[in-house]
Amino acid sequence: MRKPLPTPLESVLPILVAGDEPRVAQLPMDNDAFAGFYERSARFLWAYLARVSGDPALADDLMQESYVRFLCAARPESLASQGEVAGRKYLFRIGTNLLRDHWRRPQSASIEEIPEEFFAAAGDEGQSDSRAMLGPAMKLLRPRDRQLLWLVYAEGYSHREIAEITGLASASVRLLLFRARRKIAALLHAQATNQGRRP
Amino acid sequence: MILGSCVREKEVSELLRQGHWPHACTAELHAHVDGCRACRDLVLVAASFQKARAQAAGAAPLQSPGLLWWRAQLRRRNTAIERAARPLLGAQIFAFVVTLMAGAAILGWQVRQGFHFTTWLAELPRAIHLQALLTDLLPHLGGGLWLLVPALGALALVGTLAAFVASEKQ
Repeated sequence: MRKPLPTPLESVLPILVAGDEPRVAQLPMDNDAFAGFYERSARFLWAYLARVSGDPALADDLMQESYVRFLCAARPESLASQGEVAGRKYLFRIGTNLLRDHWRRPQSASIEEIPEEFFAAAGDEGQSDSRAMLGPAMKLLRPRDRQLLWLVYAEGYSHREIAEITGLASASVRLLLFRARRKIAALLHAQATNQGRRP
Repeated sequence: MILGSCVREKEVSELLRQGHWPHACTAELHAHVDGCRACRDLVLVAASFQKARAQAAGAAPLQSPGLLWWRAQLRRRNTAIERAARPLLGAQIFAFVVTLMAGAAILGWQVRQGFHFTTWLAELPRAIHLQALLTDLLPHLGGGLWLLVPALGALALVGTLAAFVASEKQ
């Protein structure tokens, strides 16, 4: 039997007219599926945002916003056809855009707005080896170089995938990565030499 | 242009990605990496980043996924409502503009017909028999006339408040 055509009001206002769950507000995955996806991907997204931005509190905010935007923007059919890998790549793309937006915004100079964890982390005695090694070297790199290095060496994405995530051309990614790797390698070598000299 | 400067970089990258470096590699490859600057840099950088990733992921403070799911649903719903309400606002503005134009047209037409606004305003109380209305009303109100004006004011205030609350609920 043919479905009756919606009235003009129903076609304009499906949410306000329909009594049941509105079709337009449907999310790409249900609560349980999302919980599983979140469990498998959130730690690595947070690691990316925290180490690239150098600010764990900012990483918390951006991670939450990334997931909310992911749920609002992702299409259920594309997630079903391309799988979780594509979903995760999409998530990193959102996170990358949010980081870029954050860097473009004028920065606040007020000390009250800097989270306490930021100061606590600086004097943390239990600082790990890799953080002690990589952290200072990362700070000396440009934000874009940090992103590219993390995506390729920590997340294992190919140049083509990084181009999709960052919006750069694939050839540019190759060149920028080459320079960034040479730079961070020199910094890590220098740090290792300095630590070796220290009594 | 070949940026890597070593033909074995790809091989080393693959071993690093699979976690086979350094234990599942030949002695010959180890010797190559020790002697090749590009491959040595690659190993150093990749190992540092993978270690940092594992440590940072272990320290990640996870939120409740249910809360995020609920927030996303709320945002999507609000966006849909805003999108649906946009044409309604446009229609309201259009209707208002049409009404104003019609009013202006009627007024212009009346003025051309010899209509004098000041004369009409002066004759308005007589036209609606205001004098007769007040004469009838005053004896009934008696001394309570002073209540009429504040009552009308209060009524207008309550009506405005009710309209505001209704629009906020919407």
